[in-house]
Amino acid sequence: MSEENALIFGDNDYTAEINKNISKYYNNVHIFTLNEDKNVKNSFDLGDDWDDLSDKFDMKECSAFCILEDIAQNIFLTISLRDAFPDLNIIALAQDKETEDKLNLAGASRILPATQTTANVIVDMLDKPIVTEVFHNILYEKSLLKIAEIKIEDNTVFDGKYPSDIEWSRDHGVLVISVVHEDGSKDFIYSSKSKHHPVKSGDIFVLVGYEEDIKQFKRLIGTKCEN
Amino acid sequence: MIKSLIVDGAYFLNTSKSYQKTKRYFYNILENDEYRYKKYFDIFMIILIFISVAILITEVKSKLSGSLLFFNIYVISIVFFTEYILRLWVNSSLSKIIIDQSEHDAMLDDDFNLSKALKDIIKVKMKYILSFKAMVDLLAILPFFHQLRLLRIFILFRVFKLFRYTKSIQTFSSVVTAKKFEFLTLFIFASIIIFVSSVLIYVMEANNESSPIDTLFDAFYWSIVTISTVGFGDITPVTQEGQVVAIFVIIAGIGVLAFTTSLIVTAFTEKLDEIKDLKLIDNISKMKEFYLICGYENLSKEVATRLIKNNKVIIIEENPIKAEQAKQDGFVSVNYNPGSISSYKKLRIDINTQVKSILCLSHSDVENVYTALTVRSISKDVFILSTLINKGNRRKLNFAGVNEIIYEKEIIGIVAKEFVAQPVAFEAIHALRSNNSNIDINEILITERVLQNYAMVSQLNNKKYRIVLLGIYKNSKKMFFFNPMDSTVLEVGDYLLIIGNNIFIKEFTLSLQKERS
Repeated sequence: MSEENALIFGDNDYTAEINKNISKYYNNVHIFTLNEDKNVKNSFDLGDDWDDLSDKFDMKECSAFCILEDIAQNIFLTISLRDAFPDLNIIALAQDKETEDKLNLAGASRILPATQTTANVIVDMLDKPIVTEVFHNILYEKSLLKIAEIKIEDNTVFDGKYPSDIEWSRDHGVLVISVVHEDGSKDFIYSSKSKHHPVKSGDIFVLVGYEEDIKQFKRLIGTKCEN
Repeated sequence: MIKSLIVDGAYFLNTSKSYQKTKRYFYNILENDEYRYKKYFDIFMIILIFISVAILITEVKSKLSGSLLFFNIYVISIVFFTEYILRLWVNSSLSKIIIDQSEHDAMLDDDFNLSKALKDIIKVKMKYILSFKAMVDLLAILPFFHQLRLLRIFILFRVFKLFRYTKSIQTFSSVVTAKKFEFLTLFIFASIIIFVSSVLIYVMEANNESSPIDTLFDAFYWSIVTISTVGFGDITPVTQEGQVVAIFVIIAGIGVLAFTTSLIVTAFTEKLDEIKDLKLIDNISKMKEFYLICGYENLSKEVATRLIKNNKVIIIEENPIKAEQAKQDGFVSVNYNPGSISSYKKLRIDINTQVKSILCLSHSDVENVYTALTVRSISKDVFILSTLINKGNRRKLNFAGVNEIIYEKEIIGIVAKEFVAQPVAFEAIHALRSNNSNIDINEILITERVLQNYAMVSQLNNKKYRIVLLGIYKNSKKMFFFNPMDSTVLEVGDYLLIIGNNIFIKEFTLSLQKERS
């Protein structure tokens, strides 16, 4: 990760789970509680004064997680942080679609849509139990299967080929789900659009495979991305 | 000796499986609204009634063929008579009355009191025979005695039989019954007015030669026509005194009419919600394979919105405001307590056969545990999914018999990790799950039919449909095999996990049913 510090604003059950899951990707995770009394250690208020924070951290190297359970306060916090730090990577918790839209307007870089994600998980579990179990195991790292994103540095292997024409599974033991092109556009591997995009250096593949196969594939195309 | 034979016979009938089965069958077809074939019987009887009335109307001005008359007089009447006898039979159990009496007497060390048992039997049967519905049934059979021309009018009683077969008429009568005190008051008021005005108008007009009111019947007829505000005008008072009476009757008539109208409207308004609920419960009891969401919160709304695309969903919520909100959001919602066994009884929901899964999505672990326990006490097998609000309550939900626990905070933690560690992969999975990109991930069951056409992975033509075969879930081994080799053999019960365009997935699924070209 490029960021050194994760700053989590709000101390609740969400915070505990997020901290548990992201801590290995940051040098430090700092949790701040909402408190009007700024003298309390690791606290913040919803005012405009963020000098303490910018004095303490290089905000360009930080990711901020706005995880307050009070929706209005969370939106206010997001807008305050965006106002103070225009380049800060802000990840905010949203309970519903309405909050998600407001947080986007408030300047959040990414949204963690709690209700929608949970609803998706429940419905998938009922409608597609096998798919859900497989993905659940991949995401929870209970399976040897991994999901990875790999950036192509050395394109001599796939020079001029189209993603859908490559025998990923037979030749490389991995399955590519989607490709993110250098210009930022995204294609699922077998979508009609992918027929018109030959593989180029700088493209990022999102793939599923066993760890060893992914490593071999990385060696083949010389990636800089991390798993 | 005879007494002992009667008691033995009663026990025989009461324990005879074939007798009880036959009786239950006729009871269901005649009286049980929940019995699926009852509606066909009802439709058949309604058709007979309309045929009978149509024949009566046609007969007034034209001569009917012998076969038609025979059908009307004998066939329909015999069907109605049979129905009457069957209803009389299934209405109560003679054998049970005899057994009860015999056991009662045996307990008191007395001889079996046959006359008491017979009295009880007659009492029970007479009670049924004298009921309104049974009287109508009996009168509807009378046209059988066709030679008595007056009795033909009893064919109209066959129309009254419609009460038995159409629910809307039953609903109307139940609404009227609910206001019977008010209607009785109105009836007494109107009767007094009619009586007084009839006598008054008769006294004032009968001795006047130019008046059309000659008899007490004329006076009574005039009063009814006037008080109902119909006013045909065929009989009118000519004396000034008579006209004064008419003024009073007209004013009273307006009152009676207004009172009647408001009574019916009020009764319907008061009963409307109840009627709607009854209709809803009736529909729910006929539904199959639905998801039952217990508790209506934001999450319930999101889940229901997604599930309803391909499934039937019912929401059960104790809070009337939330239940109403669910209705306004376009879902089938009932205002009952999901944690109470009586709710499922009242709603006539058979959890074992009707419900696919129970989703406990309340914002309270206490309520979810309570609901799960209630459901588990009714059905040991139904799949229960519950949300977990406080992490410390996980074990309690497990104890309550919940099959799958969803902890929202944990999911958000995983999503945050995926986003931080692999933002591109996160986007890809999110897009796959949200199904907004026309690309979907799906699972296809291998059936006998599929297996006849495709026995091995190499034979699948997924590439033709631009579909990625992510892997196979082997049901026999309960394991997922990623990126299976071409030589992998397919078995019934396996699932193919595929990713591809929605339309191509549908075409690929269909292709599996067809013979391999």
